[in-house]
Amino acid sequence: MISDRFKQAVLKELKLDDFDIKDETLANQVPGWDSLNHINVIVAIEKEFKVRFKSIEVLKCKNLGDLQKLVDSKISK
Amino acid sequence: MMDKEKRMKFSTVWSRWESNAINSPDKDAIVFWRAGEEPFRWNFKELIETANKFSVQLKLNGIKENQVCAIIMRHNKWFYPLYMGVVGIGAIPAVLAYPNPRLHPDKFREGIRGMSHNSGLDWIFSERELEPILSPLLDTGSISGMKFPLEWNIEEEHEDLFEEIIENRKNRKPEDAFLLQHSSGTTGLQKPVLLSNKAVLEHVDNYAESISFSDTDKVASWLPLYHDMGLIAAYHVPLAFGMTSIQIDPFEWVLAPSLLLEAISAEKATLAWLPNFAYNLMADKINDLDLEGVRLDSWRLVINCSEPVRNDSHLRFLNHFGNYGFKESALSACYAMAETTYAITQTEPGRMPKVILADRQKLADGFVELIEDAAKARSCVSSGKLIKGCELRIVDENRADVPKGRVGEIAVSSVSMFDGYRNYPEKTAESLAGGWYYTGDYGFIYQDECYVIGRKKDIIIVAGKNIYPEDIEDTVSKVEGIIPGRVVAFGADDKELGTEVVAVLIESTLEDTGAKKKLKRKILQAGIDNDQNIARVYIVPSRWLIKSSAGKPSRKANKERILVNNDYLVE
Repeated sequence: MISDRFKQAVLKELKLDDFDIKDETLANQVPGWDSLNHINVIVAIEKEFKVRFKSIEVLKCKNLGDLQKLVDSKISK
Repeated sequence: MMDKEKRMKFSTVWSRWESNAINSPDKDAIVFWRAGEEPFRWNFKELIETANKFSVQLKLNGIKENQVCAIIMRHNKWFYPLYMGVVGIGAIPAVLAYPNPRLHPDKFREGIRGMSHNSGLDWIFSERELEPILSPLLDTGSISGMKFPLEWNIEEEHEDLFEEIIENRKNRKPEDAFLLQHSSGTTGLQKPVLLSNKAVLEHVDNYAESISFSDTDKVASWLPLYHDMGLIAAYHVPLAFGMTSIQIDPFEWVLAPSLLLEAISAEKATLAWLPNFAYNLMADKINDLDLEGVRLDSWRLVINCSEPVRNDSHLRFLNHFGNYGFKESALSACYAMAETTYAITQTEPGRMPKVILADRQKLADGFVELIEDAAKARSCVSSGKLIKGCELRIVDENRADVPKGRVGEIAVSSVSMFDGYRNYPEKTAESLAGGWYYTGDYGFIYQDECYVIGRKKDIIIVAGKNIYPEDIEDTVSKVEGIIPGRVVAFGADDKELGTEVVAVLIESTLEDTGAKKKLKRKILQAGIDNDQNIARVYIVPSRWLIKSSAGKPSRKANKERILVNNDYLVE
């Protein structure tokens, strides 16, 4: 499930007041999350959770729920 | 690599490909690179054999010579022999962009409908997944039908048909149409450029010479093949010379830019072309985790093209990747356009592009004057010298040559130039006259090198993609609460991203911050629905916009005014 901390990191990076982010939300459904901004959002999440991703790990994420799971898996290590 | 004398014997692109398959059958032609998977390798022999199989299937499916075949597919390993198979029967391939998931199907369809009218598309080759989106187009325009080549059984043998294809190939002439590519513009209004075998062959030869292309070269590219930089530079040049091209899906690259570096390192690639934004993105965002084991010593040239070249982007790239073997001498730049097949100028290989500091104010007034005070200077990066077969002039608004040291519109002429936009006489008349193509770009010549500094039109270039401000204004004007005609869209420089971003300026009576934010959200959503990423929204009070004598808000004047004061930016 998308945590509030995860959601806020995304919204802050994209300068959005609010947007409903669910597990099944795709990156391209979030305003401002385009190809150019993609990496900025990923870096913002890395900073927020103090984790590092390999590009290939992010590439395998089909939706934001998968990305949240990736964060969770890194934190638990 | 074949010498020039031998190359000249082949008057069509197909015959060059065929000779490469005979001379270097086992050499890698295309390496189709996938994230986390073993790459798929086409050698020259298998590639041409598979292209022949596609040629047979195309004939069986009723495709005829000189018909334009639009290919709308995700990057896949079959794309390459299919494209060649189209050429093999004398039909004309036209690679079109695969729809971005953001784009509404109606909008995508509208674009293809416009293209079918202007470009004269005869067939669409696509994937089954796109059938529901594309099938309504079959009742309109020039399109005869839609085919799904990935479902064909290409192993079926039809010897008689194959014989006929081979016989027909003997009649092909250098002047015959070879491919259709599109110049800048909104999908649907893009200008179609039809190029002959002769134009493409002359260009790949001349361009290859300008970059000292040799037997040891290997190209690596993530560039989309609907763009001249991806199609001509990174695909046709190596294919015509019997050299390897490593191809990466652009959709994968934007999510994992390190893929290009992995491919270069693993395959010891020597050449790549990049738009300016990619330098910033790669330098700023690729982290050391992704660079484990990566070496870039083989990288001989990375050529900056399709956006204004920025020295800062080059330096960032060098600084970030220098530790991985990337050399300063690999930095390079060129000036190119679809209308001349591809390049007009190219910097000297092995030498970083020249950078000069020109007085910013004088430059704005049309004069090139070098100064030392960096605070008052604009750093201008050279796009190099003319390549063989090309000419260039700097002209004023009356298309007369400007004196030396002045800024003006760049006009070009080339042996590989188009002879007009297909089915677009009005656009042709605007830009082509007396054998010169008037590019709409502003620049100057300094010590025989070309410096491109801006554009005559207000086109916004975001990450190498051209966007017309009218399209953005049209989208925003339809948002509830917006007064049509009170919207201005422009490109705002983003130094961090190394490219422009789309900004909109709206005149409104709204005063409440919450209401402004709500309106901004609606605008951003409207942009998403039209595959337009609007990065900045400014809301200004009534009567703020500067209007032209015709009563229309002036993009240039309003952009200059708003950028002085960011107070109206809605956060």
